Amino acid sequence: MKLSTKKIVSVATLVAIAAFGLFATGCGSSETEKDVKSSADSSGAVIQKIKSNGVLKVGCKVDVPLFGYKNPDTGNIEGFEIDLAKAVTKKIFGDDSKVAFTPVTAKTRGPLLDSGELDMIVATYTINEERKKQYNFTDPYYTDPVGLLVKKADNIQSLKDLDGKTIAVPQGATTRKAVDEAAKKAGISVKFAEFPTYTECKSAIMSGRAAAYAMDQSNLHGYVDDQTVILPDSFAPQEYGIATKKDNAELSDYVNQVLNDMKNSGEMDQLLVKWKLKN
Amino acid sequence: MVSEIFQSSNMLFLMGGFKVTLEIGICSIIFSVILGTIFGIARHLEIPVISTISIIYIDIVRNIPCLLLVLIVRFMTPLPPVISGIAAMSIFTAATMAEVVRGGLNSIPKGQYEAAYSQGMSRFQVLRFIVVPQAYRNIIPPMMSEFTTIIKDSSFVWAVGTEELTGRGMILIGKYSTTGQLFTIFACVALIYFVLNYSLSTLARWEYKRLHANMN
Amino acid sequence: MNEIFAEYKWIALFDDLDIFIEGFITTMEVAVCALILSLILGIIFGVAGVLPQKWVRCINRVYVEFFQNTPLVIQAIFLYHALPHLHIMLPVTAIGILGVGIYSGAYMSEIFRSGINAVPKGQMESGLSQGFSYWKTMWYIIIPQAKRMILPALGNQSINIIKNTSVLAMIAGGDMMYVADSWAGSNMYYGPAYLSIGIVYWIVCFLMTKCVKRLESKGEVGQHGF
Repeated sequence: MKLSTKKIVSVATLVAIAAFGLFATGCGSSETEKDVKSSADSSGAVIQKIKSNGVLKVGCKVDVPLFGYKNPDTGNIEGFEIDLAKAVTKKIFGDDSKVAFTPVTAKTRGPLLDSGELDMIVATYTINEERKKQYNFTDPYYTDPVGLLVKKADNIQSLKDLDGKTIAVPQGATTRKAVDEAAKKAGISVKFAEFPTYTECKSAIMSGRAAAYAMDQSNLHGYVDDQTVILPDSFAPQEYGIATKKDNAELSDYVNQVLNDMKNSGEMDQLLVKWKLKN
Repeated sequence: MVSEIFQSSNMLFLMGGFKVTLEIGICSIIFSVILGTIFGIARHLEIPVISTISIIYIDIVRNIPCLLLVLIVRFMTPLPPVISGIAAMSIFTAATMAEVVRGGLNSIPKGQYEAAYSQGMSRFQVLRFIVVPQAYRNIIPPMMSEFTTIIKDSSFVWAVGTEELTGRGMILIGKYSTTGQLFTIFACVALIYFVLNYSLSTLARWEYKRLHANMN
Repeated sequence: MNEIFAEYKWIALFDDLDIFIEGFITTMEVAVCALILSLILGIIFGVAGVLPQKWVRCINRVYVEFFQNTPLVIQAIFLYHALPHLHIMLPVTAIGILGVGIYSGAYMSEIFRSGINAVPKGQMESGLSQGFSYWKTMWYIIIPQAKRMILPALGNQSINIIKNTSVLAMIAGGDMMYVADSWAGSNMYYGPAYLSIGIVYWIVCFLMTKCVKRLESKGEVGQHGF
């Protein structure tokens, strides 16, 4: 008797949780719109809150050389995006050291914004319509096309040679869609294998599990070695933007302003040259 | 060549990951034992509200994969990476710990309880002085084998990018490409886990022998 | 919180239900085959652990200690990324079956070994004194009694096998967890994705527990002694 009551209670709870999830949908959409309106009115409130936290919580990459990369010798995270985040920090706090970086992967960056763990993400995050529905983006600060990394020994010359093969992509990146579209345009069909991190995508092509690793070219440059080569194909230019939570329009506008100021003052160009992203 | 793997920068890199594995492991062990004991005792004594919560909690958590819990905790809570790993592992393992504690407590013959109550002891006194010392014998060994499961399953946090030992190993594997180097890295990582877990399970075996030696 | 479970996300999930179903089928395939493999390995190595010859018992120890003390994740990643360098390219489902099967086989063999050891020594002696050979005694006398100790633990392990198939998500294995992860990764609808597969895992494991309980009652396993 006791046993079945216990089971019934557990099942009932699960059903309740599922029902709550579905029920919450009704409340979902309208609530978000209300939030967006109210944060636009409370000027300075979000920035004040960040100031009172004492630190700007930023998500960044640690495995993309030149953008966000943890130097194995010094242990410091450095890159173009790190400097961008520091510039925003300086604007808020007057001091660019009041920033806390959390390493993110393509898969984790979005959800960490939702959960409130991070204030903003500056992690080679491509802007697209689908994502704009869920997060606020600034104007683009960099554009990078998708490229393909292959093993020299495989003798692949271009996208067309990948017909019927598997392509390794990271989970959570726009790369899969981009390659899918490019493949359709070229009239070939490809299979995909998704991995949680970039290093596993690289391992996949090295072990032969995939024929190519598709990713933004700037990222690929960090993984090319004497056994691999980046194909000349480049497609689907990806625009990177800084992302913030959907109901945090104020922070997004603020950061956007900082970026635009940097573009106008030439500081953006200086950073690009510093990191060899522009000549 | 293969010896490149053993240069100090690589070994230190791996050790950094090992440190994270240990952090997650030790903290999860502590929290899951505490939580598990609370829930196990609550269920055993049938304390009204907590007992129902334990039943629901244990029944749900024991039937979903650890990896799913790691993902859910990472994405839906604002906890920093390592702490969310500790939370996920603790939540997952506490359910098993609770069942181990409950099983151990259940194994004490009812006669012990009756004899103690007849002496005028309260429920908690009975637990503390009569039941737990005897149940300890049946609880500790399975609990300690759960410790090795925690250490091994901590490798799931690599799926959300937390750089523990497995993650650091994978990063190294991305750096090196010859077969010999790959196998060496795998061997190193597996060896570190093996040494840690084998020591833990040997400790568990000793403890079991020690506790059960007096029985005959 | 509400936005995570928004309606349009659930609608999208039901639109893409077919990939989730494919993932579910892969999970079940791997789980069933891994269960069979682990049972076979468990019996072989479990019996090996009780045989009188020391070197055979040694093999059992090595197998059990190695696979119980290293993470399944490392074993799976090794099979997936490292074996191809030896020109052994296994399809990913096979890797799931092998990885989970061999890993669980170690646990199964411990269950069989301790179950057999729990049968009083007298049983083996009586069997042999009646003229049964070692193996006949095993088969007709020891193992049926050991069954009672073994069945509950087996049930527990089978649930672990079902849950452990989720390791395939880390090696692009096409199982339910991978599908949910990849779907959620591309559109960030991770709320409905994780909740649904959580429910499916729960239902499968729950049904498994019920099955094992029924087997146990049929075999009159439980508090009864020998």
